[in-house]
Amino acid sequence: MNSPILEVQDLTKRYGELTALNSVTLSIRPGEIFALLGPNGAGKTTLIGALTGLVRKSSGSMRLFGIDLDRDPLGPRFQVGVVPQEINFDPFFTVNESLEIQLGYYGQKADPKRIDEVLSALDLLDKKHSPTRALSGGMKRRLLIAKALVHRPKLVFLDEPTAGVDVELRRDLWNYVRRLRAEGTTVILTTHYLEEAEELADRIGVIDKGRLLLVEDKVALMARLGERRLEISLERPTALPAGLVDLLTVSEEGKKLSYVERPGTTPIAQVISRVYRAELPVVELETRRPRLEEILLQVLHGTEKAS
Amino acid sequence: MNLVGMKTLFAKEVRRFMRVPGQTVLSPLISTTLYFLVFGYSLGGSIRLENGLPYLLFIVPGLIFLGIANNAFLNSSSSIFITKIQGTVVDLLVAPLGPAEVLVGFIGGAMVRGVAVGVLTWLVAGFFTTFHLVHPLVAVGFLLIIAYCFATLGVLAALWAEKFEQINFFPTFVMLPLTFLGGVFYSVQRLPPPWRTISLFNPMVYMADGMRFGVAGKADFSPWLGGGLLLALAAVATAVAIRALQVGYKLRQ
Repeated sequence: MNSPILEVQDLTKRYGELTALNSVTLSIRPGEIFALLGPNGAGKTTLIGALTGLVRKSSGSMRLFGIDLDRDPLGPRFQVGVVPQEINFDPFFTVNESLEIQLGYYGQKADPKRIDEVLSALDLLDKKHSPTRALSGGMKRRLLIAKALVHRPKLVFLDEPTAGVDVELRRDLWNYVRRLRAEGTTVILTTHYLEEAEELADRIGVIDKGRLLLVEDKVALMARLGERRLEISLERPTALPAGLVDLLTVSEEGKKLSYVERPGTTPIAQVISRVYRAELPVVELETRRPRLEEILLQVLHGTEKAS
Repeated sequence: MNLVGMKTLFAKEVRRFMRVPGQTVLSPLISTTLYFLVFGYSLGGSIRLENGLPYLLFIVPGLIFLGIANNAFLNSSSSIFITKIQGTVVDLLVAPLGPAEVLVGFIGGAMVRGVAVGVLTWLVAGFFTTFHLVHPLVAVGFLLIIAYCFATLGVLAALWAEKFEQINFFPTFVMLPLTFLGGVFYSVQRLPPPWRTISLFNPMVYMADGMRFGVAGKADFSPWLGGGLLLALAAVATAVAIRALQVGYKLRQ
């Protein structure tokens, strides 16, 4: 159970002069939700493409379910589902037919019960016999997900699954992804929505310019890099007493004080208490915790070295 | 071997063209009927052939060949090309389907359409002439190998093409001239020497001629020549198509 479901070793993909993936090494545990974050062109889709057969690697090795993809590229794919980034649909067929075809591609016979189950979970059951061309954009996106899941894959790749969908549908999809995890499915997703990774992921990988900069448990990452900030506005410039002068950064000609709490430093509550005791002429006091987005920026700007 | 996957792709291909039968099956029959009316009835009466065949009966096998070749080619080429344009090719590329399964699925579907049009052309021709099938085994053999060859060429054309203009290149600039100059409407034996010699390099001549041997019982060349040529073409096209799918030529980045 503890052996990795997916292992990538020194995976490299070059397009002429451009190195889209640069010696990426990664291991995915069974049952986890792994979010791959990075700016446009970072290599997220290329990595998923290489793992799913859409992209030919230049070098390196990949093992899915313990099977080397160089030796058996097709066998492991029976247990993999892929939601591509771009919406696609075959206008010749209905929703039901599309799912029957998908089951067939994965070696399974038509299974009306399973199709109803997936369509129901994705709120598409009433469109079962509609032609795919008649679906709205959001419904087509849900159909893509239904197609990726109908054959009960153990590993699902979601490449920007909620790009361009409304907030309500995004929430629905997040709930469905959580349900997949509860059922034991491993999920690897790429996303531009950092909120998505923050909501769903167990672990986060940050990729940029083809390099995997870090892979870390989400909670640990946020705790390690997640500093809290304290901003204090004063009515007038005031001299700081001992005990605060070394802690606070002064700006705006002495009218703005700020403090950054990091693991191991003085807690913000103590700093506020000292400010209160010093009877400083405080106009406004604000504390805030950075979102994952800011942490990602820190990593991408080199604050955090590659691990 | 993913047999269920292969059968699914094959059935999907057949269902796809059966969704638009007016375009895929009936439309070729209309043009064939017009050929019979124009070339067979209107002009055919004044044409005498050395081999003694009535002109109408002479053109029937050629039109059957034309129907099979065009429709088998169009089915596989348009289906794969549209799959690429629509992005649904991703479904095939990530699925556990190997090159052989993909090839059999697409070629099988295209062959069904080619054979259906070929048989219907023969039936329509029967109303204009009589139902001729002098060497049934030869006719069926040619029917199948022509459908196979052109379905495979359709796969190759679709893999290569990136624009609609390119997908029309082979049928318009290669197939159309070669079939019209390939003894479908006339015997190459009637041509003056330089043109006759040039025509002998056109492979369509032997394919149409082989079909003529099977249907009408008379031919300018040995049917083994046409059969051999088709088998060689089938072998080469299959090998190239398998290799192209293996490496993901213009499919996988």
